[in-house]
Amino acid sequence: MSLVDESFSRRRLLQAGAGTALAAYGLGGLAGCTVSRSVDRSAEGKIIVPEIDGDLLIYNWAQYMDPAIKKGFAEHYGVEVNEVNYDNLEAMVIKLRSGAQYDLIFPSSEYVFRLRNEGLLAQFDRSLLRNSDNVAPFYDSPWYDPDSEFSMPYAYYTTGIAWRDDEVTGMTGSWNDLSNPDGAGRMFILDDFQEAIGEANLINGFDLNTTDPDEIETSKETLLDQKENARGFSTNSVQNLVNGTAVLHQAWNGDIVNVRNQVDNPENYRYETCTEGVPVGTDAMSIPINARSPGTALLFMDWILTPDNAFKNVNWNGYPQPCEGGKQAFAKLAKDEPSINVDLDELANGEEYRLDDPEARQLWTETFTEVKAG
Amino acid sequence: MSAFDRPRFLRVYVAFAYLFLFAPILVVVLFSFNSIKSLQNFEGFSLRWYEEFLDDPTLRESLFASLEIAVLTMVAGTVLGTMLAIGLVRSRARWSGSANVLMLIPLVVPEIVAGISALLIFSQIGIQLSILTVILAHITFSISYVAIVVRARLATMGTEAEEAAMDLGATRWQAVRMVLLPGLWPAIVAAGLLVFALSFDDFVLSFFTTGEDVQPLPVRIWSAIRFGISPTINAIGTLMMVVSITAIGLALLIPRLFGRRESGVKVLTGQEGG
Amino acid sequence: MSEGFWNRFLVPPAVWLLVLFAFPICLVLALSFGYVDDLGRAVYATDLDNYADAFDPTYLPVMVRSVLYAVATAVLCLLIGYPIAYFIARFGGRYRYALIAALVLPFFVNYLVRTYAWVALLSDEGLVNNALIDVGITNDPIQIINTPWAVIGGLTYGYLVFMILPIYASLERMDPAVIEAGKDLYGNRLQTFLHVTLPQTRQGILAGSVLVFLPAVGDFVAAQLLGGPDTYMVGNLIQDQFFAGNNWPFGAALTVVMMLFLSIFMFGYLRSAARESRAAL
Repeated sequence: MSLVDESFSRRRLLQAGAGTALAAYGLGGLAGCTVSRSVDRSAEGKIIVPEIDGDLLIYNWAQYMDPAIKKGFAEHYGVEVNEVNYDNLEAMVIKLRSGAQYDLIFPSSEYVFRLRNEGLLAQFDRSLLRNSDNVAPFYDSPWYDPDSEFSMPYAYYTTGIAWRDDEVTGMTGSWNDLSNPDGAGRMFILDDFQEAIGEANLINGFDLNTTDPDEIETSKETLLDQKENARGFSTNSVQNLVNGTAVLHQAWNGDIVNVRNQVDNPENYRYETCTEGVPVGTDAMSIPINARSPGTALLFMDWILTPDNAFKNVNWNGYPQPCEGGKQAFAKLAKDEPSINVDLDELANGEEYRLDDPEARQLWTETFTEVKAG
Repeated sequence: MSAFDRPRFLRVYVAFAYLFLFAPILVVVLFSFNSIKSLQNFEGFSLRWYEEFLDDPTLRESLFASLEIAVLTMVAGTVLGTMLAIGLVRSRARWSGSANVLMLIPLVVPEIVAGISALLIFSQIGIQLSILTVILAHITFSISYVAIVVRARLATMGTEAEEAAMDLGATRWQAVRMVLLPGLWPAIVAAGLLVFALSFDDFVLSFFTTGEDVQPLPVRIWSAIRFGISPTINAIGTLMMVVSITAIGLALLIPRLFGRRESGVKVLTGQEGG
Repeated sequence: MSEGFWNRFLVPPAVWLLVLFAFPICLVLALSFGYVDDLGRAVYATDLDNYADAFDPTYLPVMVRSVLYAVATAVLCLLIGYPIAYFIARFGGRYRYALIAALVLPFFVNYLVRTYAWVALLSDEGLVNNALIDVGITNDPIQIINTPWAVIGGLTYGYLVFMILPIYASLERMDPAVIEAGKDLYGNRLQTFLHVTLPQTRQGILAGSVLVFLPAVGDFVAAQLLGGPDTYMVGNLIQDQFFAGNNWPFGAALTVVMMLFLSIFMFGYLRSAARESRAAL
C-alpha cells in the first residue's frame, strides 16, 4: 500500500550516504578541473564580412530597440530577426561563456574590453560597413576597442533618477533623492551591481569605481538603508514606470523618452542627473565569436547605423546614437528635455564604470548579493 | 445527526474555495479575449492577442518546441518508467531496494536542485544547451512519475495470467508482451499523458537547461512576465491550459475507454483494483 | 520467473537515473567545495569556504525566511485544504471524482500562468485594488503585491492541491463506521472530529505538509514575481549565483545545504510512513 515500506531502513540510508560520499570523494579527484565551458572558437582570427549567412538572434536589453527596425531588416533581407533579453550584463556574460550562441550582443564599453580580452568577440573590418563614416570620430579609437574592430557604438547614456512629479515632490538633484519618502515602497534601484554600488559610492563621495573594501562596506550600508524605501531591484525601468509600479526609479536617460511615448500623461515623467556624480557610458554592438550568423549580424549593425534607422530608433528609445540621423533626432529630444542631454565631451571626460581587477569585481558582485539578501 | 449530514457552512466554504481556485484562471482566460490592451477593464471580445501570438515566429516556434519536448518525454519516459516499475515489482535482486530509493528521490527533490544538477552535468559533458538537453532533463524526472503510477497498478496484478500463458507455451517475453503489458496499458497511457502535461507545463527544469534559439513556451512566458504583463501572455496561458487539460482529461477518461469502470483518478492515484 | 529476466528490466532506467540524476547531484556536491577563478570560471577544489559563507549572518536569514514562508504556506494550505478534502470525502458521494478532477484541473494550468494571474490581480492597478476602490474601502491603491503575504499567497495557491489530495486519500480510506462510533461516543461533531477523524488522517496531513513544504522552500518563481526586496528566498539566491552572480560553487553549496535540511524532513516523514504501514499490518 505505502510506496515506501522497507526501502528506508536505516541500513539503506547509510548505504546511500556512503555511496554518495564515496562518489563525491572520487570526484574530489576533479579538484583543479574547471566546469567545462563549450564556446566554439573556430571563428578565431577570421575577419567577418557583411553578408547574409542565416537568421539573426539578437541578445539585448529589453525595450532598447525599435521593433520597426528589426522588422525592416527582416523584410529587406528576407531573414528572421529574433530577440532575447537579459536583465543585466553579468548575466549576459555568463550565458556567453557557457556556450550560448547569439549573433549580436550589446555590451557596455567595459564589457567590450573584457570580452575582447577573453577572445569572445569576433573581429570585423569596419571599412566594409557603408555607414561607418557616419559614426562620430570619437569612436574611431575608443579606449575599450582601440582599432574599432570588435565593436560599433550603439548608444551612450547617463544614469540618473526618473520620477513622477505628480506623485513625488521635493527632488533635490541628489542621489539621496532615492530615499525620498514620497516614493516609499514604489522606488526601484537598478538591478545591476555596478549601478547600485556606484550610486552609493557617489553619495558617500568615493570614487565611482573604488575598490577599497572599507568604502565598499560603507556603500553597502547606504544601499541597505535605501532598500528600506525600495520596492525592488529592476532594470526594467520603462515598464515599471509605465504601469505605475514605480514612481521613483534609478534609470538611464533614454528611458524617460521611451516612457513618455507610452503613457497618457508624459509631462509628469521627469528625469534628473545628480550633483554627486553622473555615470556615463557607451553601449556598443558586438558579435560573439561563436555566432551562428556573424555576417548577418554585421549587416544588421550597418542597418542600425543608417541615418534613417538611427533617427527612428532614437525617437523610440530616447538614447543618443553617435551617428548621423541619431545625432539630429537626439538634439531635438534634448531640446525638449535638457536633463537627458549628454554629449561626447562628457563621455570623454566623464565617469565610466570600469573594474579591471577580477578580485575587485568579485567583491562588488558579492557585496551586491549581500545587499539583495540582507 | 441531521445537521451533521447537511453541513451548510462547509458547503458554502467549499463553494468559495473552488471559486478561489478557479477565479484567477477564469480571469486569465477572460482577459485573453479582451479587445484592448488592459488587464483591468474588459471592453470587448477579440482574438487579436491570439493572432499576435500565432503571428510571432518566436512564440510559434516555442509552442511547437514545447509540444515536441512533451511528446518525446512522454514516449521515452513511459518506456523507461514502465520498465522500472516492472523491474521493481518483479525483481528480487538485492539492489532493487536501492533502485527503489533511486526512483523516489527525483520526486522529492526541489525543482531548482533538479535544474542545477542537470545544468551541471550538461556543462561537464560539454553538451550545448538546447532542446535536446531540455528533453533529456524532462525524461529523467518523468521516469519516477510513470514508475509510481504503473507500479501501483502492477502491484494489484498477480502473475497467474502470465504463468497460464507460459503453461500454454508462451516464452517469458511473449507472456510479458501479450499478457502483462496489455493489462498495464491503462496505467501506462494515463501515466504517459500525465507526463506529457507535466513536461508541457514545466518551467524550472526547462529554465536551467534551455538553449537560446528555441525555448519552451513557459520560459518565454517567464521572460515576458518579467518585462511586463500583457494580454498576449494571457492568450499563451489559455492555449497552454487547453493543451494540458486535454491531456489530463484524456488521462482520466482513458481507463473508461478501455472498458473498465474505474475512474482515471483512481488509476492515477494508485488505488487498487477497480 | 527467473531472476535475470526481471532484473534486465531494471537496468536501462537505473542506468539512466544514475547517469542523469544521481551523478549530477554528486557533481553539485563536488562543486560546492570549489571556487571561482580570475576568469570567472568555476573550479573544483576542496575548500569549505562556500559552506562558511552559506551560514554567514548575511545569508542565513535568507534560508530562515524561506523556511518560515514554506511553513506559513503549509499551514495555510492545511487550514484551507482540509475542509475541502473533508467535504469531498464525506459528502461528495457520486460527484466525488468529478470534484477531485475539478480540483486538480487548475493545477494543470502552468504554474507561471497561475502566479501571473495573481500578479495581474494584486498589482496596484489590478482587479483587487480596483474593487477595493470601487467599493470605497480605500481611495488609493493598497500595495498588496511585492510583499511577503503576496508571496505566501502565491505559494499557497500554487501548492494547495498537494495538500488536499493526500488528506482526501486518507479520509477515503477511513471506515465511516468508525466515525459513527465516534459520534456515539463523543456525542459532539467537534469532539468526534478532533478525537477520531483527525488522528486517523494524520498520515495524510503529514504527507500533504511534506509535499507542500519541500518545494515551497526552494521556490523562486513566487518571490520573483510577487515579492519585493525583502522577500528574497534561498531559491532566488541560488538562481542568482548561477545566472547573475556567476558563483556556481557558492550556488552549489547553498543547494547542498538546502537539500540536507530538506532531507531531514523527508526521511523523517518516510520513516513515519513506513512505521504506519507496518503498524497497519
